[in-house]
Amino acid sequence: MAERILKLLRKKGDFVSGEEMSKELGITRAAVWKKINALRKKGYIIQASPAKGYRLLKSPDLSIGDIKILIKGDIGREVFFYESVDSTNTVAAELAEKGTPEGIVVIADSQEKGRGRLGRFWVSPPHVNIHISIILRPEIEPKDVTLLTIMSAVACVTALRRVTGLKVTIKWPNDLIVSGKKMGGILTEVKSDPDRIIFAVIGVGINVNMDVDMFPDDVRQIATSVKNETGEMHSRTAIIVEILNELEHWYKILKRTGGKPLLSEWQQLTSTLGRDVRITVGKETFTGIAESIDDEGMLILRLPSGMLKKISAGDLTILR
Amino acid sequence: MELEDLKELIELLKETDITELQIEKNGTKVKIKREKLISSIEMPVQKSTVISEKITPEFEEETQRLITVTSPIVGTFYRSPSPDTAPFVEVGLRVKKGQVLCIVEAMKLMNEIESEIDGIVIKALVENGQPVEYGEPLFLIEPI
Repeated sequence: MAERILKLLRKKGDFVSGEEMSKELGITRAAVWKKINALRKKGYIIQASPAKGYRLLKSPDLSIGDIKILIKGDIGREVFFYESVDSTNTVAAELAEKGTPEGIVVIADSQEKGRGRLGRFWVSPPHVNIHISIILRPEIEPKDVTLLTIMSAVACVTALRRVTGLKVTIKWPNDLIVSGKKMGGILTEVKSDPDRIIFAVIGVGINVNMDVDMFPDDVRQIATSVKNETGEMHSRTAIIVEILNELEHWYKILKRTGGKPLLSEWQQLTSTLGRDVRITVGKETFTGIAESIDDEGMLILRLPSGMLKKISAGDLTILR
Repeated sequence: MELEDLKELIELLKETDITELQIEKNGTKVKIKREKLISSIEMPVQKSTVISEKITPEFEEETQRLITVTSPIVGTFYRSPSPDTAPFVEVGLRVKKGQVLCIVEAMKLMNEIESEIDGIVIKALVENGQPVEYGEPLFLIEPI
């Protein structure tokens, strides 16, 4: 019901009378008043005039109702929202395990145990950042699953560029980078049989309205946020909607034509290729030139000896 | 050429791989040919064939009983969720169907590999942090 009220207010963009709403929605004017107050509690600023009715002045920075209205496709049609969770990826994986269909999204305002690679901590305080996990069940071969990493990187960078105007780039394989600092990261967790993918959970963390002094000391030099780069607050709703719509777009392309268009788009958006890099894989460290990516998105490194080495995973640092 | 010289030559040849030697000195022609050496080389070859024939059926029987868990992707193999936590499974211990055995990471995509059966972990075939290929065996599990 709250969503239908929001739709009405948005459609008009001006005052909508209580009477019109009650007629349109089939509820009493007292019930409309109750719903309006519930929306106000969620952070919507709604003006009420006894003569003219109600007018939506401002939406909250994170509104699940708005996300559901503004998405164009199947991804995000249903959202599980939490004020606080351990990790959105953990919640999404549990949902997927129970058979939750693809396209369902988990969003949390904050995470207590936000995770990065290899159990590393991801800073996730309340009210400022994006923590979102998307359940997919792609019918692709397990060996092609790395294309999901390429896809999520392309979708997030395109969305962030469009909403914030910042020149966000991808650091292999899918870190979101602005002026050499990390603005966001993506961690995908997959469950598969030898011959098929049972589900994939794509977890996205983006620093949006976080001030630099909120970062822990050890990452302050290497991390940034949308607010830190643009100097202004941004709507988390707007960024999430763009990400979900971009994912919808690229996921359709992946299913229809395979990885080629994604790989070529990734190469347009990366700042890693052609650079001198150092990469640590387990106990080994390699330096060389990031030459290209292969058909699965793996990094081809040209070692100082001139030999080429394929890198499937690791911590990459751009040297110059 | 004296008889002593010939004896010495024959002894010398025994220590080498040479099977045939021809010497011409002052109109005397000497040809020494050793067939024995060849057969002594062939012997161990035959023996080893016999040994491997004996072993193969037993070995097959053993591996038929064990389930091999392979990597579904090219990536890096991890036995624990993070470097400072205990491994998902230990050799010699029981695992349940659906229990996570390890993670194979490729491009920040963590692929959890589960056991398809109830069983006992007989062997971990790859070391933590090592690269693995598509289809590479990771664990041997004995069904129970």
